[in-house]
Amino acid sequence: MKKGDAFSVKELPQELKASLPDVYVDDLLVSLKYFIDEEQSHLKIKDQAVCARCQYKPCLDFCPVGVYTLAHDGKIQVAYQACVECGSCRVGCPYANIEWTLPRGGFGVAYKFG
Amino acid sequence: MNTQDEKIRFDAIVVGAGLAGSTAAMMMARAGLNVALIERGQKAGGKNYFGGAIYTHAIGEVLPDFMDRKPPFERPVTEAGFWMLSKDGGLTKMTVQGGKLGAEPADAYMASRAVFDVWWAEQAQREGALLIPKTSVVDFIRDSAGQVIGVSTDRAQGDVYAPVVIICEGVNNLLTQKLGLIDHDLEPAHVALAFKQVIALPMDTINARFGLPDEKHGLAASVLGDVSLGLPGMGFVYTNNTSVSVGLGMMLDAVVEYRLKPYEVLQRYLRHPAIAPLIKGGQLMEYGAHLIPEGGYRDMPKLYTGGAMVAGDAASMVNALHWEGTNMAIVAGKLAAETAIEAHKQGDFSAQALSQYEARLKDRFILKDMKQYRNFARFLETHPEFMDAYPGFINDALGQFFSAYGMPKKTLFKNILGSLTSRRQLFKAVGDMLSMGRAVMGW
Repeated sequence: MKKGDAFSVKELPQELKASLPDVYVDDLLVSLKYFIDEEQSHLKIKDQAVCARCQYKPCLDFCPVGVYTLAHDGKIQVAYQACVECGSCRVGCPYANIEWTLPRGGFGVAYKFG
Repeated sequence: MNTQDEKIRFDAIVVGAGLAGSTAAMMMARAGLNVALIERGQKAGGKNYFGGAIYTHAIGEVLPDFMDRKPPFERPVTEAGFWMLSKDGGLTKMTVQGGKLGAEPADAYMASRAVFDVWWAEQAQREGALLIPKTSVVDFIRDSAGQVIGVSTDRAQGDVYAPVVIICEGVNNLLTQKLGLIDHDLEPAHVALAFKQVIALPMDTINARFGLPDEKHGLAASVLGDVSLGLPGMGFVYTNNTSVSVGLGMMLDAVVEYRLKPYEVLQRYLRHPAIAPLIKGGQLMEYGAHLIPEGGYRDMPKLYTGGAMVAGDAASMVNALHWEGTNMAIVAGKLAAETAIEAHKQGDFSAQALSQYEARLKDRFILKDMKQYRNFARFLETHPEFMDAYPGFINDALGQFFSAYGMPKKTLFKNILGSLTSRRQLFKAVGDMLSMGRAVMGW
C-alpha cells in the first residue's frame, strides 16, 4: 500500500461489490460494552487540512466500528466513543494523520467475550 | 517532591495482564518477587480478543494442575480443519476428528479472552502478584545511562519503579516503539484486521447443526474460499457451549485499498448459503475487531534492552499460518520471567544480562517457528490465489469426483484439471506449490 499522495484505491469486480450487503453498524455496536471517557478523546485528527487533501478518505470505510464520518462541512468527525482500540486507523491512514493514544486507564471498550 | 523512600517500588513490573503478562507475573511471584501487574482495562482481558481456541500445552507448562483449578474453557476442540466455501453456495469440509483430538484434557479448548484472561490473572494473583487495573502505562522512567528503572502511568503520582519491566502491551506496541526496540510502526501489509460476531444459540441447536454428539465436543474450522472477496484473508468458525464465534481476518492493506467496510464483508460471509443455516435464529452477543501482527520474524522488535523485555503480540510473536499466538505469548512470558528471576539473583539487569531472554526463546519453538515461517507473510501477500482460486478448485474437484455425471473417468479428471487450469495456469500452480513450500518449510 502506497502512502501519502501516492495512495490509490482498488476496485472489486462489480459482481463482488454488489454482493456486499448494506449493514447499519450501530446495530452491531449495541452489542458492545464501553466505559466512555466523557472528558477527552483518545483519537485526534492531527491536521484537518491533510484530510481535506486526502482524495479517497478510506477511514470512512475501513474502520470496523465506523468511528470516522464526514460532517456537513466536509471535515472528518471522530466518534471516539465507539472505538474498540484496534489500531487500524493509525496503521491504515495513508497520511498517518491520526494521533492514536490509549484511552485513560479504565475507559474504552470492555469486551464481555473477546 | 518524592524522596527516594516515598517511591513506589517493586521487584518487577509487567505491562498488560494478557496471556504473556499474567504468565510472567505468575512465574516471578512464584519465585518470591514482588510483582506489579498493570492493566489498562477495567479487568484483565477486557481489551483482548481472538478467534477462539486456546492451546493447553503452554498452560500446562506454567500450571501443571490447571485442570484442577477449573479454567473457564468452553468446548474442547474435538474436530478441527478447513472448510471451503464456493461461490455457488457449496461447502467442502476437510476436518479431522477423534484420534489425538479425543484426548483429555484436550490439546485446545474454545474460550473467550475476556473470561479466560480474568482467570489466568487470578492465578498470578494467587501467587502473590499485585494486579493494578484501570491504569495505562504512558512512558518509561530511565536513569541517566538509559537503563529502564520504572514506568509512569496515567494515575496521579503514578510513577512505579522496578529494576526490570516486562512489556506485554499487545499488538499496538507503542511503548516498545517509544523504547526504540523497533524503529517503525506496524505496516498495513503486515497486519491482519480480524473481526467476528459471537452469536448465541441453544446448546442442542449447536450440537445438531454442527454434527456434534454433545457439549463435550467442539469444532474449530478455518474457512477458505468465498469468504474474503478473493483478497488475502481467512474465515473461522468456533463452537462454544452456547454460542458460536464466526469471523474472518483480512490483511489491513487490502481492506484500506478496496475501501471495504469490515462489517459488510462479515455480513456477506454470514449470509453464505452454507453458513446462514448454522447461525439462523441466533442472537448477536458481541461484535468486535482486533489487529493481528502477521509480519512474522522480520517484524519482531529487539526483544530486550537494559531493564526491559518484550513478549507476546507486542513482539510480533504470531504464527499466521497456524493461527498460533496465545501459546507463544504464554511461553515467552514464562521465559522473560525466568530471565528476570535470574537477573535478580545476579543483581544484574543490564542488556547483556537480559539477552538471556533471547537465548531462551531460541532454544524453544518460538524463534524456531518464527524463523521457519518468516517468508509466509510475504508469500500470502504475493499469492492471493491461495485464498480464492484453490479453494474454488477443491470444491469443484470434489463436487465432480463425488457426482456420477455419467462420463468416462478420463474425461472427469480432465475436467477437474481444467477447473484448476482455468483458474490458474498449471505451471504457475506448480510454482505456487513450491513457493508455498519455501514459505512454510523454509526451503
